[in-house]
Amino acid sequence: MTMELPVTSAPRGGHVRDGGPGFGLSKLADWSREKSLWPATFGLACCAIEMMAASAANYDIARFGSEVFRASPRQADLMIVSGRVSQKMAPVLREIYDQMPEPKWVIAMGDCASCGGVFNNYALVQGVDKIVPVDVYIPGCPPRPEALIDGILKLKAEIGKGLR
Amino acid sequence: MTVAPERLQAAFPNAHHGVSADGIPYVLVRPENIAETARIARDELGYIRWIDMTAVDEPDADPRFELQYLLYSMAEHRWLRFKTQTDDKVPSITGIFPGADWYEREVYDLFGVEFEGHPNLTRLMMPDDWKGHPLRRDYPIGGEPVDFTVTREILGTGGGNELRG
Amino acid sequence: MVLQTHRISNTLHINMGPQHPSTHGVLRVELELDGEVVISCKPIIGYLHTGIEKTFEGLTYLQGLTLTDRMDYLNPMGNNLAYCLSIEKLFECEIPERAVVGRVLLAELTRINSHLVFVGTAGFDLGASSVFLYCLREREKLLDLFEWLSGQRMMTSHIRPGGLASDFEPEWLTACEAFLDDMPKKIDEYESLLTNNPLFKERMVGIGVLRAEDAIAYGVTGPMLRACGIAQDLRKTNPYLGYETYDFDAIVAEGGDCYARYKVRVAELREAVKIAKQALKRLPGGPVKTANRKVMPPPREELGTSMESLIHHFKLFTEGIRPPAGEAYVPVESPRGELGFYIVSDGTGKPVRVHERAPTFANVQALPLMAEGGLVADLIAVIASIDPVMGEVDR
Repeated sequence: MTMELPVTSAPRGGHVRDGGPGFGLSKLADWSREKSLWPATFGLACCAIEMMAASAANYDIARFGSEVFRASPRQADLMIVSGRVSQKMAPVLREIYDQMPEPKWVIAMGDCASCGGVFNNYALVQGVDKIVPVDVYIPGCPPRPEALIDGILKLKAEIGKGLR
Repeated sequence: MTVAPERLQAAFPNAHHGVSADGIPYVLVRPENIAETARIARDELGYIRWIDMTAVDEPDADPRFELQYLLYSMAEHRWLRFKTQTDDKVPSITGIFPGADWYEREVYDLFGVEFEGHPNLTRLMMPDDWKGHPLRRDYPIGGEPVDFTVTREILGTGGGNELRG
Repeated sequence: MVLQTHRISNTLHINMGPQHPSTHGVLRVELELDGEVVISCKPIIGYLHTGIEKTFEGLTYLQGLTLTDRMDYLNPMGNNLAYCLSIEKLFECEIPERAVVGRVLLAELTRINSHLVFVGTAGFDLGASSVFLYCLREREKLLDLFEWLSGQRMMTSHIRPGGLASDFEPEWLTACEAFLDDMPKKIDEYESLLTNNPLFKERMVGIGVLRAEDAIAYGVTGPMLRACGIAQDLRKTNPYLGYETYDFDAIVAEGGDCYARYKVRVAELREAVKIAKQALKRLPGGPVKTANRKVMPPPREELGTSMESLIHHFKLFTEGIRPPAGEAYVPVESPRGELGFYIVSDGTGKPVRVHERAPTFANVQALPLMAEGGLVADLIAVIASIDPVMGEVDR
């Protein structure tokens, strides 16, 4: 198995953080948000196939809490943008992001979502961070399911510490 | 893969004939004769299956766009290509091959060639309010400038920022 | 999703997608419903338009090869193959026998890959989520094989103009044979879950019927066409890579409904295993790259001693290969239908035009013919049975 390049986290900013539930329960809230992070189905292109592989039996992100991919963004916490975002898809992406309730996080999976990838042209948004704030960038074309899991785990660790 | 050239010559007497590098014969007709050509190919020569249609843009050529249509004969297992050249518009053949619908819309969207008689000639790939026709050769490739591409620019192998527009 | 009731005729205009778990990518369908019945259905595409055809024009042919993987991303080596066949047609170059047989093997393995995803997602869309897990379990073994061979799980770009990128190791061939020997039992397992399952049949039999005349007029190809009873498989009618010498059947089913398409693809999965095994047995020795130095770079050992090799190497990796001027279209039978690259070359290192004839583009165009008059739930089954890959529709 090949070693994957380290995943870099985006600088913090852009998300609105609530003040916490009060009564010292914010640690409990952070713990529960970390342990049960539900992604929204946002598979666009080839990376979506590796995301499906990550949710299937061999790699299985259900054991990390992402049991279900919620079809409705209103029930999801995490948007994994897996694939290339075209000009026509960009407003849809933003709308789905806006429909997700706080707290929410975004993972840009793959090169196309991180920076436009191999397609430096008129048709693609060069990196999804031009539209939505991104927490974790996962490079790869497509990144291995282990790389996706690495990114999700890094995000969960930071959520658990209350940093995101 | 070559069909008897005499049959094609007889069916399309006023067209230019030739064979492409892949062995598929082509027939170059004038834009106003396209619908008739498609009909003859389908009904008399047996090329009943619609395969493909696209355009090639040569800005220095006159006319500028060459449209090529591809049909297939189920009986003889052969392809036929017919081509036409235009600067702006061409009759639509959706009445003969309903499968040409989206292909003509795509060529309209990406090249700007208009198809007269098309039931719904709107953009297909780009957003509806997009300006310009991206696959034309004089449309810049777009995207964002990339740093440190100086080697490619010196060697002239392109992909550098001079194409970005 | 925007809901509005139509004042006059009491029909509901609903938008499905582009973000929707059942559209197999970013396909948007505008529906007009009367209750649950679909009155009209209009597919809208373009949400994954990547400008690939334009990007080809600024890259060399070898660089462009890496873009072809990303069009039909469930059939990456099939795309590579179609692209390379068109380029080699322009060059008229000889491909060594080991590469030809190796390409057949890789193309059929990729077909297995694609059909496994079809069976898994067809079941998954209808609610049978276990089949999805089983199919992807087998697919992981296949992706391990691809990674061993080329370094990449999916976008391998292993089939290059002039042959293959690298040779097969003996251990890889043994592992491949073990995988292929194991597959028929696993296909039986999937079939035991789906094929005679009354719920599956209830949702697929008689649903989404496509008539043969419509299929031909719309340019529908592949399993969808063969499910209408038309025996059209490019591997049989216009063979390439020596397919006429392999023993396999072109699967045809009657009915033109979703169940027929499912049956065709499962049978093709079995046939692909058969063809791959034959290719594995008859793999001859020899090189996997053509000796034509205008197409493939010389081996690295020669670069230290031969000036000509050094110059060839330099030219090929800076300017790229330069096919003679002309146009070529050599289609292959992809898991979705007739796939071909129409390449126009002017003799320089960069193409004038590369156009992909994507099978799903024509197949999705026929969606209204199959879905109108049915229920909304049937629309899901129909989309699943088309097996669309939006990467190649929108390019």
